[in-house]
Amino acid sequence: MSKIVEISPTTRHEGHSKLVLKVDDAGIIERGDWLSITPVRGVEKLAINKTMDQVPKIASRVCGICPIAHTLAGIESMEGSIRCEIPNDAKHLRVVLQCANRLHSIALHNILILPDFYIPGTDTKINPFTPEEPVRSVAKRIVRLREIGQTIGEIAGGEAVHPSNPRVGGMYKACTPRAVTKMYDLAKEGLTLAHEQMDFMLAVIGNMKKRDWVDVGGKQIPLPKTLGYHNQGVMASHPVYSSSNLDEHPGWDPKRWTDVRPYDWYMGEGEVSLADPGYPIGGTSPVGTKVNPQMEACTGVPLYDGAPVEVGPRARLVTFKNFDEKGTWGQHIARQMEYTDCLHAMINALDEYNPSGKVLADNIPQGDGSLGWAANEAPRGCDVHLAKVKDGRVLWYEMLVPTTWNFPTCSRALTGAPWQVAEMVVRAYDPCVSCATHMIVVDEDKRIVAQKLIQ
Amino acid sequence: MERSSEVMEMGTELGKYKTCVSARSTNKEILKKSQDGGIVTQLFAYALEEGIIDGAIVAGQSDEPYRPRPFIATTVEELMTSRGTRYNISPNVSFIKEATRSYGLDKVGIVGTPCQMQAVRKGQLYPFGWRDVDSKIALAVGIFCMENFPYQSIKQLVEDHAGVKMESVKKMDIGKGKFWVYTERGAVVQLPLKVTHKYEQPGCHVCLDYVANLADVSTGSVGSPDGWSTVFVRTTNGDNIWAKAIAAGCFETKPIDQVKPGLELVSKLANEKITKNQKTVEERAKFGVNKALRNPYIKP
Repeated sequence: MSKIVEISPTTRHEGHSKLVLKVDDAGIIERGDWLSITPVRGVEKLAINKTMDQVPKIASRVCGICPIAHTLAGIESMEGSIRCEIPNDAKHLRVVLQCANRLHSIALHNILILPDFYIPGTDTKINPFTPEEPVRSVAKRIVRLREIGQTIGEIAGGEAVHPSNPRVGGMYKACTPRAVTKMYDLAKEGLTLAHEQMDFMLAVIGNMKKRDWVDVGGKQIPLPKTLGYHNQGVMASHPVYSSSNLDEHPGWDPKRWTDVRPYDWYMGEGEVSLADPGYPIGGTSPVGTKVNPQMEACTGVPLYDGAPVEVGPRARLVTFKNFDEKGTWGQHIARQMEYTDCLHAMINALDEYNPSGKVLADNIPQGDGSLGWAANEAPRGCDVHLAKVKDGRVLWYEMLVPTTWNFPTCSRALTGAPWQVAEMVVRAYDPCVSCATHMIVVDEDKRIVAQKLIQ
Repeated sequence: MERSSEVMEMGTELGKYKTCVSARSTNKEILKKSQDGGIVTQLFAYALEEGIIDGAIVAGQSDEPYRPRPFIATTVEELMTSRGTRYNISPNVSFIKEATRSYGLDKVGIVGTPCQMQAVRKGQLYPFGWRDVDSKIALAVGIFCMENFPYQSIKQLVEDHAGVKMESVKKMDIGKGKFWVYTERGAVVQLPLKVTHKYEQPGCHVCLDYVANLADVSTGSVGSPDGWSTVFVRTTNGDNIWAKAIAAGCFETKPIDQVKPGLELVSKLANEKITKNQKTVEERAKFGVNKALRNPYIKP
């Protein structure tokens, strides 16, 4: 007889979400629903009739961790719609900005996941805030990596959070040679630190892979070897940066995308019948709590080729580098491997960049209302923005944010795991829930069928 | 009028300062085109060479004669192109964030009028939208200011009142109660300040700061003989840099009490500005339903 457990809210990730889990007598998940309960902000609605310059800046406000990815995806979807090609030097600055974002985001995620892991060779979990070694020097390194990412973002993008420098048609300002040198030196410093940090994280993750159990709330919970495995596909548009409809070989196809209402996807009404007050941070919801995921979920369910897909570092490495690790540990390993990748990409872009080159297109068309899209590879995965611009104004706008893609995939990946480790599976996706909370559901003919479910 | 007593005590018109001297640069090249003692150019040049700052935001040249444009000088050569005073607005503070961004500066020097120094300090106190900017201001140099002019005003004064084309002006100066225009061909035109008053920016009439009270170092010609400048060293940071510059032989100095006209004149003009502008401040406080502009100078 299956029971329902609810973990609400889930912790140590961005935004507000919860887990509703149907488990068997042994506590193994039969069906898991992970859903966003962050209220819908309606950015798509706000965008309508605003100028194409305003909308990406508004869109970036959905989140403070990946505003760079949203700004770039927003701007490039506008450029895709108006068919505007930007100068190479502007592109290089955008790549630097993109990598700076990814660098500080991975470092932040390290802090969020480390408490799930053990110091290798011991049964002591890692507390990233302890003043004791060896953790202290790791924490300092993480902070420095974040500082490096944010400083480079600040120089290339004008602002580390909500970058002001990118604009439709290129960038507002070119960077001076002095600024380029500064970014280059920082990236070089970051590269050494990133190597060390990657090695440390890989050792910690490798140790975790070998463990048979993990302590959750004072209980030893068995760790399945297939933690987080799922049979869904992966989706990635570019190894590092982004793809748009202006590319010769676009990395994403809007025709393959459909949306499903959460009502048709998630579990129906139910009642919590299993509770554990000893579960970390206040216990799970008490027995008798009403749950109704299909009405509570605040995201649509985007499908690619009719099925949910995984996006993120693992998806990128699987698509472009024949990476073959699966599941939760595979995702963690892939993310650490991107540390050095993004610094190398940054250094290469800075080498290519010419400070006296042009960063703004000579001609910026105002658009005829045709569809443009950009699939930016944000830290958490493929961030697709779609837009239609006519006479400089936005007629239609849509954001398909990485975690939106990951919600249904991760829900499926929960099956077969003890419910106590469900949050570990969720955290491996580095969820960023608030930006994932959008709701415009379109059917197979791309007609909007639901804007928001009003309860 | 009873308010004015709580507004500003007499004797505080010169602000807080550690030392005050009359000084001029020892560099002939700087003095050739400087307004008075070449203090700002010399101090920034020294700070640049010593790595105290890695760039300075100064009033640079623009396409129009005597219209300043904020400019980020990162070498002494660049700094030299900005010597001298141009009596209209150069929005230097607007460049301060960009200096730390696409210019990649970590230690920024900035020169500005008293109101611009207030803006800099306010930005450092409440750095909203100034992420990582506040900590990068390494040297703020203030200049004495009675009031400022929009560019159109200066153009009108020079071209209509003084009858000189802007292109042929060699130097402008305000001193000895007059507005002076020197031309390339040696002619000198003087306008009584009475004429210039109506061309001032109205915004200047609420300012009660003559000597850049909030700068690290503030300077101006008033109080010192021709070719010299009066210098107030105000903050610990300013004092450190000034002391090093003196030790490096950048400036000749004279004690301020041994020069004519001396601090008395500075005090007199500062008090004049305060008394005159106090009226506007009080009038503005009574705008509308007594909810208009708060008087920023009233002590809480």
